Formats: sequence, structure tokens, C-alpha cells
Amino acid sequence: MPPRRIGNDYESDSEGSMFGDIDTSRTKKGKGKAVDRTKSAKAKGKAKEQPYAWEATYTRSWDTVQEDETGSLQGAVQDLIARGRRRRLLAPAAAIRRTIIRHLVLVLDLSTSMMDRDMRPTRFDLMLQYAREFVNEWFDQNPLGQIGVVGMRGGVGERIGEMSGNPQHVLKHIAERHKLEPGGDPSLQNAIEMARSSMSHLPTHSSREIVVIFGSLTTCDPGNVHDTLDECVKDKIRISIVALAAEMKICRDLCDKTGGTFGVAMNEGHFKDLLFELIPPPAQRAIARTTGTGVGNPAADLMMMGFPTRLPNTSPPSLCVCHSQLKSEGFLCPRCMAKVCDVPTDCDICGLMIVSSPHLARSYHHLFPVKPYHPVKTLEDAPHLENKCHACATAFPESPPPVTAATEGMSPLGRYRCPDCHYDFCAECDVFVHEVVHCCPGCGK
Amino acid sequence: MDRPNHLSVVVDLSPSQWYLCGQPSNAHPLPLAAFLSQLLAFLNAHIACNDENTLSVYGALPGRSALLYSSASAELSELTDPADSNTYRQFKILDSTMMKSMSEQVDALSDLEEESPIGLVGSLTKSLCYINRVTNVSTSSTTTVGSDEPTIRPDPRILIISVSPDEAASYIPVMNSIFSAQKLKVTIDVCKIYGPESVFLQQAAHLTGGSYIFLDRPDALLQYLTMTFLPPPALRQLISVPTQDKVDFRAACFCHKNIVDIGFVCSVCLSIFCQPVPVCSTCRTKFPIKTLQRLNASKPALAPARSTAPVPSPSPANSLPRSQAIGLPRTTSMGNGISASPGRNGASTR
Ligand SMILES: [Zn+2]
Ligand SMILES: [Zn+2]
Ligand SMILES: [Zn+2]
Ligand SMILES: [Zn+2]
Ligand SMILES: [Zn+2]
Ligand SMILES: [Zn+2]
Repeated sequence: MPPRRIGNDYESDSEGSMFGDIDTSRTKKGKGKAVDRTKSAKAKGKAKEQPYAWEATYTRSWDTVQEDETGSLQGAVQDLIARGRRRRLLAPAAAIRRTIIRHLVLVLDLSTSMMDRDMRPTRFDLMLQYAREFVNEWFDQNPLGQIGVVGMRGGVGERIGEMSGNPQHVLKHIAERHKLEPGGDPSLQNAIEMARSSMSHLPTHSSREIVVIFGSLTTCDPGNVHDTLDECVKDKIRISIVALAAEMKICRDLCDKTGGTFGVAMNEGHFKDLLFELIPPPAQRAIARTTGTGVGNPAADLMMMGFPTRLPNTSPPSLCVCHSQLKSEGFLCPRCMAKVCDVPTDCDICGLMIVSSPHLARSYHHLFPVKPYHPVKTLEDAPHLENKCHACATAFPESPPPVTAATEGMSPLGRYRCPDCHYDFCAECDVFVHEVVHCCPGCGK
Repeated sequence: MDRPNHLSVVVDLSPSQWYLCGQPSNAHPLPLAAFLSQLLAFLNAHIACNDENTLSVYGALPGRSALLYSSASAELSELTDPADSNTYRQFKILDSTMMKSMSEQVDALSDLEEESPIGLVGSLTKSLCYINRVTNVSTSSTTTVGSDEPTIRPDPRILIISVSPDEAASYIPVMNSIFSAQKLKVTIDVCKIYGPESVFLQQAAHLTGGSYIFLDRPDALLQYLTMTFLPPPALRQLISVPTQDKVDFRAACFCHKNIVDIGFVCSVCLSIFCQPVPVCSTCRTKFPIKTLQRLNASKPALAPARSTAPVPSPSPANSLPRSQAIGLPRTTSMGNGISASPGRNGASTR
């Protein structure tokens, strides 16, 4: 880890450009939204080749896209798609066991070191922006999860948001920048203790995680932070840290001993990659697998849940059982027909857990992924040879383009075939089906 | 209606259901031929509203799904069709293409296939792929270029015209399609002409902000279509279309594909089962014996409560038995203002 420069706000731009002149090929891989997708694919392998944020020139995202000789962006777009394909094909095909009911405490560093400008505009603003995107994406993939937010400021832990399963509530807590203005020193121990205490009551079948975004090189603790670490191991709390400054031994230990991940962000894009790698539900830890066939996972449980009927706001008003208020809209418990205001909740009358089934269904695409389509190399042995994409009805190119376009994982004919129904799809639909729809239009399952 | 909008129509073409729907013994029968002429009038109205409006029509047939018409392919056929001085050219192309592709598809059905469930999922996902392509051609290139200029995207929406009952086996794919529609900001409207209320399609309309309408008078289809589904979602706030009465949030169990209102859910993968099972069939998790005993003990108390109608409670909203919400057609509740439901006068059967 090279020493960090301090106070490199605008200076870094001019200085960076010197580096840029020397090493243009590296800066091409710099930061920018357009390459985020591809970067997460390469992040692990290529991370070492990427420049540090303070070494780089300011790259605008549109600079990273290169036109080909004819001035078209086609090539660049094709490249993006190709990389997306390759990344997906690397992913395991079988459904993995994941802990879907997750509880997470997001710990934000609000110490003065967050005002550093080595990440633009400042570490603090960037952290808030990414934290919001993180929360949105996290709830999308972990529908029944809950997030709490804790801040580290002035040597204490500060509860910013209680555990909540509603993305809007969580976002509201981190929306107001002026309330989170950085100051003082951070305290890892205080913040982790606070996070731990807010998760102590949770049922055993849920996962407990702490994600720390840490920009400081010091921690100002009242006691021995290793005691806290031992407590977390005992409570099966997984700690992951994204550091913005440099690696610290205690951070590494916290992550390694609790089974979390530790990463030092080198630039804005890498920061986002590290954070977003924590979004997919973690595969069940090795403990469950070793006992696997015999005893089974002791944390797993079967839960009885009710799926309610939602009443519109035009229905005749009636009293709800939770607040005894007269209102029209609400949800009817399927077992006792009592009306509750909001789901998910436990019915106040019969105690049944009432959830909205779409909440559950949101996570099913993890369980039944669509098989990857195979790039079609020749037009022979096709059961259904259509000249249009089976999904979007776009015509396939008539003649294959010159061989140069053939990249690994790409079909020279622009056709991708489902291994089950054997229909052909275009590259765009292929990506869309696997990343968004999670259901093959040909097989219908 | 300044902005052009794209409409994808998914037409349920189940032969057996349409046969039942057209039976004269029904209170208000709607035979397939009458349905088609009303549908074509509606589609013509859509493309006439704005020059740049686009349309694609998918047929959900037993065991398969097919694109019947799309604006993109119509441009190609334009050259070959002979002109007709009495019809607006676009209408004629639309009508003839629709009828031709539909009869081709129906003719291709074998007797065996007629019994298989209709390809609703296939046509739904195809229309999503189509919409993804029409709207994303512009957006994908702008994101790579990195400019933030707002692109003019046609407002996409999907209208499902359904006559078949829910296919419980397709619960997960239907839900996945709904979530992708949400991501694409596509509104899904549902027009249920015949058959029992559809739990899945109710959820589809609710989750995407569309409207779900169960027709009281199937023979007045065109009226419903033009009053409710012709205006794009952006205009719906202004004209108060019929809203959904209730949304039934039931789900299908993974083991028997039954639609259940109380299910047993695996805490690891969230699979739903209709009865306590010792091992999760999806993720192979074994559940503790204690839990099974506890759940089995609570089941007998549960069973009679589900089979009999619930005891009427003092509050009027609570006293509606579920059967009424499911099996019987009922009036859609109206918003304040203009009544958009046709056939009200003289048709007040209930
Ligand atoms: Zn209440
Ligand atoms: Zn209850
Ligand atoms: Zn396609
Ligand atoms: Zn397939
Ligand atoms: Zn079952
Ligand atoms: Zn399971």
C-alpha cells in the first residue's frame, strides 16, 4: 500500500494527468458508469492493474467508449454485451442455498476523514450516494430483509435508522445530508456494539450482518475491540468492511474471523463494486454444508405464513385490529379475517404471520435460474430454424459478419439457443431474459 | 395523448374456453367472432389515436404463444397488399394480418395440444422482450455514451385479455414477468372476459399500477375497452377508470400447485408448501421435528376454519366471504366522477 497523499483536492487533477500521460492504457480502464458492469466482472482479476483514484486523470464516462473506424458505437456496445454474457456463463448453474431472510446493519463512517476529496466529489458524498443505491438494490434482491443504519462520529456510535424492512424508511434516514455532516473520530467498537445489540433479539433462522464503510485510519475505542470481535463470532454476526483509505489489521481480522469480506477501494468504481458485491444473498456458510446430509441446517425452519386479501380505499370503512382506527384500506388475515393496516406483520388476533406473497416471489428467480443460452455457431441441426428472434421478432443478420467479430462466448450469427426449447434468441433478448425476466419465452418456465 | 405509446395485447385464444364463453346459455354470451370484431375495432382505434402509436399482438394458444401482429412487421407487408379505396390502409393491414396469422396458428393446433394449458407466460415474456427492445434501443446507447439527455420513449403497456382460469404451475414465471414489467415501468392491464377471477392477473395489475376489470357484460366488450384501456396510463388519473376492488394475494404452493391462502414457507429459500413437509423440495433443507409437530398440531384447528364460510363479523368489510370474492362476477367499484362502465342501465341484475 503506497502512502496516501493528504490534502490533494484539486492538485490531484494536474498531477494525475502526468500519470495519465505515462500510462494511458491504464486510465482507459478508469472510472465511469458505463464500464461499471464490465468492471464488476473483471474486478477481482484486474483490480491490481487499476490506478488509484488519486493517480488517475479525471475520466469522463463518455471518454471510455471508443468509436470504431466508421465512427459507430456498435463495437463498444457489442463488447459490453459480450462481457456480460461471459460473466454470466461463469456463474454456477445450480441453485445454491442462500439465507434470504437477512438482517443487516450498515455502519457509515462520519468522521472528519470522510471529507477527503480523493474520491469525487468527497468520500462522504460518494458514500451517501452509493449507500442509497446499495439499499435500493439490496431490497430488490432480499425482499424480506431488514436494514438498520449506524453512524460513527465523535468517538461514539450513533443510531441513524432503526431496523426496517421498508426501503423508503431506510432511504429517508440517509437522505438528509446535513444531518449526517462528518465530525470527530470514528469508533469501530462502539458502532459494532451498537449494531450487535440491535440484532441480538433476532430469530435464529435469519442471517445477521454488519457492513462497515470505513474511511479512517484510526479507531477510538473505549475498551478492547477484540472482545467485541469475539462476541460477534459467538453471535454469528458476519462483518464486512469496505475501507476507503488503507488496510488496517483490526479491520482485516474483524472480517476474516466472522466470515465476512474485506476490501480497500482504490477508486470510485472499485468502491461501488466492493459494496455491491455484498448485495447477493450469501450462500449458506460451510457449517451447514459439513453437517449437510446428516442433521441438516439447524437454523432452517418451516414457517406458517398467511397471504392476505387487500381491500381498496373504496371499501366501506371498518376498524383495524392494530390501531383501532376507522379506515377503508387494509389487509384481511386469511385465517381470522381480521383487518390489519400493513404487511408483513403478525396478526394481532390469531398470531399468524401475514406476508404479501409477491414479496416472497421476488426472490424466486434465485432459486430457478434460466439455463444459459448457447451461442449458435452454425445453422445446421436446428429443430426450429426461424429467421427472427423468438422473443422480440427482430430479424437475425442474413449473412454472418467477418470472423473478426467472433469473440469468446459470442455467436457469429447473433443467435443464442435455449438448451431446453431450442429456440434462437438475439443477444439483447438473451441478456434481458437472464438478467431481468428470469423466464425463457420459449419454454415458458 | 401527445406522446406516442406502445401497446402490447396478449389475447387468450383457448378454444375450449371460447366455446364455453359463446354458449347461448350464458347470461351475456360473447362468441369468438363477435369478440374479434370488437377487438379489431379497439386496435384500430389505438393506432388511429396517434400516428406514432405502435402495437403488437400476441396470441396465447394451448401450449404455445405466437406473435400475431406487430407494427414493425406491418411496414414490410405494406408493399405487397393491394389497396382498398374504402378502408384506411393501416386498418386493413392490421385486420388482414391479424386474421391471417390467427387462423394459421389455430389451424396448426393438433387435437392433443388443445387440452394443454395456454401459453400465457410465453406471450407475456415475449411482449416484455419486444418492449425491452423498442424502448432500450435508445436508452442502451445513451448510457454507453453517458449523456443524460432524456430520451423520448414510447409509453409501453400491456393489455391481457383473458378467458382461461389461472394456471397454478405458471405462478413463478408469471410473478417473474410482473417484476420485470415493474423494472421496465410497463403497466399491465387485465380484461377478464370469462372464467373465474384470476389471482395472478389481479396481482399483475396491482403491482404494475394497471387496472383489472372483470366484465359484467362480456357482450359490451368494446365499450369497456375504449373507455378503460384506450387512454394511456398517464391519462388515467384524469378520467377515473374503474379500479380494482380487492387484490387477492394468494400464492401457489410448490408441491401440488394448489392456490393457498395459508402456506408453510421454508426459511432458507422461501418455497411455499400447502402442508408441513419434513424436507424442502427446492433446497433440500431438513426442518426440525419440533417445528413439524407444532405445525401439524395447529393444522386441525385450521382445516374447518378454511372450509366453512367465515363467521360474519360486525364490520361490513370483514364480513365478505372469500367465495364471493373469488367465484362470482361482481361490479367493479367506481372512482368519483364519470361512470366508465357500460351497460349499467337495465343490466342491474344484482
Ligand atoms: Zn391499524
Ligand atoms: Zn388472524
Ligand atoms: Zn430478440
Ligand atoms: Zn427455452
Ligand atoms: Zn402443495
Ligand atoms: Zn427451501
